[in-house]
Amino acid sequence: MHIPDGYLSPSTCVTLYAFATSGWYTALKRVRRRLATRMIPLISVFAAFSFVVMMFNVPLPGGTTGHALGVTVAAIVLGPSGSILAVSIALAIQALFFGDGGITTLGANCFNMAIVGSIVAFGVYRLMAGRSEAGARRRALAAGIAGYVSINVAALVTAFELGIQPSLFHDASGVPLYAPYPLHVAIPAMMIGHLTFAGLAEAVISAGMVSYLQSCDIGLLRGIGDFPGVPSSGNFGESSLPVRLWGIVGLFMLCTPLGILAVGAAWGEWSSADLANPAMRAHIAAASGNYPPPATVPAGLQKLSAIWTAPFPGYAPRFVKSATFGYVLSAMFGVGLLLLAAMVATKIVKKTRKQESRP
Amino acid sequence: MTETSTPAFEVNDITFDYEGIPAIRGLSLRIEKGERVALLGANGSGKSTLLRILDGLCFPTTGSVSFAGNPLTPESLRRNGYALTFRRQAALVFQNPDVQLFNPTVFDEIAYGPLQLRWSKEDILRRVGETLALMGISHLKERPSYRLSGGEKKRVALASVLVLNPEVLLLDEPTVTLDPRSQSQLVDLIQQWKGTGKTVVTATHQLDIVEDIADRILVMEAGTVIAAGTPSEILADHALLLRANLVHAHRHAHGNIVHSHPHRHPHSHDV
Amino acid sequence: MSMSEESFIESTLRGFARAFSKALISEQAASQPGLLQSFDPRVRLVGVMGLAISTVLCRKLAVIAALMVLAILLAIASRLSVWSLARRVWFAVLGFTGLIALPAVFITPGSRIVLAPVLHLSISASGVRTAALLVLRVETTATLTTVLVLCTPWAHILRALRSLRMPAEIVTMLAMTHRYVFLLIETANQMFESRLSRTVGKLTGPEKRRMTARTAGVLLSKSVELSHEVYLAMLSRGFDGEVRVLNDFRLKAHDYLGLTGFACAAGLAIWMGR
Repeated sequence: MHIPDGYLSPSTCVTLYAFATSGWYTALKRVRRRLATRMIPLISVFAAFSFVVMMFNVPLPGGTTGHALGVTVAAIVLGPSGSILAVSIALAIQALFFGDGGITTLGANCFNMAIVGSIVAFGVYRLMAGRSEAGARRRALAAGIAGYVSINVAALVTAFELGIQPSLFHDASGVPLYAPYPLHVAIPAMMIGHLTFAGLAEAVISAGMVSYLQSCDIGLLRGIGDFPGVPSSGNFGESSLPVRLWGIVGLFMLCTPLGILAVGAAWGEWSSADLANPAMRAHIAAASGNYPPPATVPAGLQKLSAIWTAPFPGYAPRFVKSATFGYVLSAMFGVGLLLLAAMVATKIVKKTRKQESRP
Repeated sequence: MTETSTPAFEVNDITFDYEGIPAIRGLSLRIEKGERVALLGANGSGKSTLLRILDGLCFPTTGSVSFAGNPLTPESLRRNGYALTFRRQAALVFQNPDVQLFNPTVFDEIAYGPLQLRWSKEDILRRVGETLALMGISHLKERPSYRLSGGEKKRVALASVLVLNPEVLLLDEPTVTLDPRSQSQLVDLIQQWKGTGKTVVTATHQLDIVEDIADRILVMEAGTVIAAGTPSEILADHALLLRANLVHAHRHAHGNIVHSHPHRHPHSHDV
Repeated sequence: MSMSEESFIESTLRGFARAFSKALISEQAASQPGLLQSFDPRVRLVGVMGLAISTVLCRKLAVIAALMVLAILLAIASRLSVWSLARRVWFAVLGFTGLIALPAVFITPGSRIVLAPVLHLSISASGVRTAALLVLRVETTATLTTVLVLCTPWAHILRALRSLRMPAEIVTMLAMTHRYVFLLIETANQMFESRLSRTVGKLTGPEKRRMTARTAGVLLSKSVELSHEVYLAMLSRGFDGEVRVLNDFRLKAHDYLGLTGFACAAGLAIWMGR
């Protein structure tokens, strides 16, 4: 699931880096608040542990082996924010030091595996474990299922990112410039491998580790224990707020294709082409209380409308065949840009505030 | 032992629980400035825990600990930057050197303490250079921590605390991972500190070095001090040593005779 | 396909050994008196990553090929063996991305240029072009990244990141993680080796899985305990939550020259490859 450099276009990389950065920023703030001075050693060593677990060959049914990510156990023990940080750091070291996975695609990889993976793993685990005891068998099962689901969701997101490359990024003659397979090839190709191997490996490791911890170190399943005698800075109960927020945003993004249902153009948002088209003119008149639009296109409108041509006119990026995907894509891009802008703005505001408060 | 001078450490009747299990029970002691004390005990006797309490890393459940007259509590360390002073004056060398070497390179490791204590850049560079030379590890300056041998790690760990020139050194089983040569070098180093005014508290279970590194021994068992005395007194008390699980009584041979009695495996110069 | 009882352990152990050897080779390469090594780590980082970014931005095969040649020249100038680069990077990428890109040669719609002999599948010019673009892009970026990492000690990469405004806590965590990765690999190594030597007879599938999960579990417990101890060690040396660092990087004229060189190369590539 590690995407190397060269498979994703620059704009895809930037968008996903923006998503990832907002995830990292939020996670860092939450973990800093919860763990305070203990953050650095705990997250670092856990990241090292994640890194090593990724190297395990996990024996699978059928005599084959697969590799797990360990993101599920990280989410269970550290909570989603801690897991986002730890797994991202492990992925960064894999990419920077060991050359596994690209650097322009590090944002994408962290988003898919560390962020989406952690949130889904934690959500499914919580859902399935319910209010059972820390030592209940249900928890191990929940961990296994959470592992399987989270890996496959991460793989789906990865496949989506790869699959939209050909239609979005190709040269004049239609030759794909980056990942060459469209969605209907990329998704099945990726999912087959993960539904069978990687998902199972993650399930085996997650369920097995929870089982082991239940018998030998159950404190870890209740959240990292405090070191005796040292005053702690709070417990580990993660609220589901970040999960809910991302869920809401995601839901909205998926709902954007509803816009296709709308007929015609919004009132007052007509282009100069609309005003010249007889069929549209009849439509405009009907929507305006039978008041007919001006006979010729106003000169001012004509002039101004030529100034700017949008990259994604009509929320349908050129050559995206499905209008639905065009909408969802535009939504993703827009949200990504907004997040990036918000982050930059926050940083600038914080900097000015800091400078003002200095005597 | 003068009663009028402030002791380096004064511990009054402390208890400490680790996850519900009492690790220290009703322990009191007093260590004078410049003393070299050994905490002698088997694994699990509570010596490591006591060292951590002395270093202000853990705080007792009941009782009090004071360092040079100042109480050691979370609040006192937070107040007025006392932590900055205390951390320079007292230093703990952990039993597992990997725990103490958490920086990328040897240089970073040794510079860490001074950096946290906010020394100036010039002071840091100068002092780190001196310490590297003192411990004979200048050639390891840029080496990453994971590429050091056991003996080198121990030397770097020591250097990382000696750079601060602390008045009190707390050593947790300093020789246990070392080969014989490194072990003797370390013992020599500790012997050099005799009479320099440095207070040294060493936790160990190795009887063969204890005479060289300490003037007073506190024998620990099950979280409390069961005996105190000079090395010759303590080492002669076989019953005590057996009780504290510091010697064994397995069958062995003297020439043609095979029997068992409490003994310890002696120094090479002992007969 | 059946795997012998120990082979999954053995392949894991081999992976561990590879990680160590990578670290060792990197250390040796970084101490060579080559071109990249002569630049300030910041210049190296920005320069090489700039070239990688321009590779991703390029749309023309010829320009990407030129960047690849530049990457190889950089490697040679930095005293890296081209053969080891081939072994480490090029063959691996060819095996992975090459295999992935191969079907594209056949299935990408476009004018047919030739009919594959045995398979009777048509190869299109578009297919060849898209496969070539992908493979070459991946090869070039991988080469650039590898050359950078081989020539620069991890500690220097981190210092460069920090002076490029990455938050100090994150850099510290990257440093500490890297440092303890090797300790944990060694611990896991010992655990697997001891299990290997103790295994008598065949293990069933569930037994193998349980064993792997237990090893991971033990490693986790040890890791968490290690983190507790490291925390105490940090406190003991005066850590109070704020990360403090020693800044001692200074740019020399040579560095500015290098930076200009990198910028020109990247800029030219982006211009010509647009």
